[in-house]
Amino acid sequence: MQTNQEKQDGVEVGAYVPIGSEAYSEIVSFLYEEAMLLDNLRLQEWSERLATDLVYTAPLRQTRLGVDHEKTFIRSVQHFHDNYRSILGRIMRLSGKSAWAEDPPSRTRRMVTNVLVRETSCPNEFAVTSYLMMTRSRFSADDVDVISCERRDIIRREETGEFKLARREALLDQSVLGTPNLAVFL
Amino acid sequence: MLTKTNPVLSDGTRVSDLIYPDTREVQMRVLSDREIYELEMDKIFGKTWLMLGHESEIPNPGDFMVRDMGEDSVIVSRDKSGEVHVLLNVCPHRGMRVTLTDCGNSQIHKCIYHGWAFRANGDFVGAPVEKEKMHGSMLEKAELGLKRARCTLYGGLIFATWNIEGPSFEEFLGDAKWYYDLLFLRSDKGMEVLGPPQRFIVNANWKTAGEQSAADGFHTLTLHRWLGEIGNYSKKGEGEGEGGDLSPEMYGVEVSSPHGHALRCIDLARKIRRITGLDPEKLDVEEKLKALPPAGMTVDMVDQLKNNLSEDQLKVLTSMPPQVGGMFPNILFGFVYIPQPDGTVVGSMTMHTYIPRGPDKLEFCNWIFAEKDAPPELRQKMLEQTIQLFGTSGMVEQDDSDTWPHMTLSAKGAMGRHMTLKYQAVFEKGAPEGWPGPGIVNEGFTKDDTQWHWWLYWNELMNAE
Ligand code: FES
Ligand SMILES: [Fe+2]
Repeated sequence: MQTNQEKQDGVEVGAYVPIGSEAYSEIVSFLYEEAMLLDNLRLQEWSERLATDLVYTAPLRQTRLGVDHEKTFIRSVQHFHDNYRSILGRIMRLSGKSAWAEDPPSRTRRMVTNVLVRETSCPNEFAVTSYLMMTRSRFSADDVDVISCERRDIIRREETGEFKLARREALLDQSVLGTPNLAVFL
Repeated sequence: MLTKTNPVLSDGTRVSDLIYPDTREVQMRVLSDREIYELEMDKIFGKTWLMLGHESEIPNPGDFMVRDMGEDSVIVSRDKSGEVHVLLNVCPHRGMRVTLTDCGNSQIHKCIYHGWAFRANGDFVGAPVEKEKMHGSMLEKAELGLKRARCTLYGGLIFATWNIEGPSFEEFLGDAKWYYDLLFLRSDKGMEVLGPPQRFIVNANWKTAGEQSAADGFHTLTLHRWLGEIGNYSKKGEGEGEGGDLSPEMYGVEVSSPHGHALRCIDLARKIRRITGLDPEKLDVEEKLKALPPAGMTVDMVDQLKNNLSEDQLKVLTSMPPQVGGMFPNILFGFVYIPQPDGTVVGSMTMHTYIPRGPDKLEFCNWIFAEKDAPPELRQKMLEQTIQLFGTSGMVEQDDSDTWPHMTLSAKGAMGRHMTLKYQAVFEKGAPEGWPGPGIVNEGFTKDDTQWHWWLYWNELMNAE
């Protein structure tokens, strides 16, 4: 596996944490539990896993020629551009009485796969990429919205041993999203 | 059975019979009927001016982006001399799309099918193997360029129409222009986009979003109730009602136009009083501008307003500034003052278009703006706040995009399609005394007139040539 220093979102990333190692399993568990909490509308518990310096974004995508691949990611205007405070605000709204976009709530299924974990220059932080495929079923529609993305996370081990999400960038695949809003978390 | 004027649908119904002028109702069939949709593509999207974006998206010669006029894809490009062109993205040879990317930079657009090439202004350059003259000799090269739309810039916004001989953009805006100028022509350097538009699909007829944009203030009270319960408007001044009650926000002046444009001008005195603690009655125009600068401007920038707006316009801007509204047929604007937890205000400037994608589908396009010379910190705050409140993940507009599909479904039922949309809440007062602006002007609690005028223009266009 590659060990040379590279950058992911400005963070120096190093060696891959071997699949099957203890640290790897802990991080995969963190991601699976997160998906379970979100799919079960346990937003409050999910929020307890967010670091207070969280940065949470989802770039726009554009169709460009192959040579311009990097330009397909737009990080000026994005679909999400949030921090810890604003995510808590979203959760407060969704937990309130009048968040009609998610009340009645969607039935979602977050499939998390292709998890790769790398060390970073901070010993307690891991650079984690994962694929997310979410199906979103609303009302009695006989089809589901499919939301697919690659997530680039920084996951931090706190002194207590707990993991927290410190950074998430969700690289959505669609240039025109096939879902009427992102009232669900990626 | 479709005649040019006053069209009749295949079951014998006249389109004009779906609108009841005496009782101000619209039959819901208009939200689901395919024949009506096809007519709209010609009679509305083929005739009016349509917004395609902002020139700051394509700043350099050769820059281009692909946008939509109705269901037609168009290339919006800037040529060598800096001029902006709007060209049908259909190869005149055999109909391939000329450009397949969303944007880029190129002086030449070459069709990947057989290689016909076009300049940024749409001129036909030639086909491969020049000596074989593969474009034939029946038509001149000058006749083989990309089909060109008529195009104009307004405050940097790019508008285009296929109605080459029709009304100018200024005529199309009519009296409403006086008010739009308060938003789009107010500063010395003008606005720019903060990035390309967010885009997503809503399974709804485009008119559900279009008519709401013609200034439906009333829905805010219920659909966006969270704003008063826990959101940015939950802190209220004294005697302004309980928690979720947003009704104090609903008073103001509404402007509409025979061309279906609409603006909600919301009372600023309340905001000044609540946010700054000052008594607006005692402030002159200048002091009001400094106490609470227009959305997206700073105190340092307000002097520019005097360079660009008349005294009468400044009067409106400092008493009843337009904050939300639309332009016919499918545009929404929001220039809103959002209260912050620390007692300050940050503006959000946003525009949407709702692109028709069939009778029960629309593409929502959301642009976010800032003044070119606004300080970087303000631009950043506006960007993040606007993303959090409007568009794809916007906490306000999430609820709208979940509402329109249900109206569209309702309009499909054998009973539902004969139900009506009602616009029977009518203004009674007219314009406030001494109101300096033109147009159809009404004062008071938000009513249905502006949306009704939107439908009247829809009806007029549907029954015209
Ligand atoms: S279709 Fe474009 S060159 Fe033939
Ligand atoms: Fe709304």
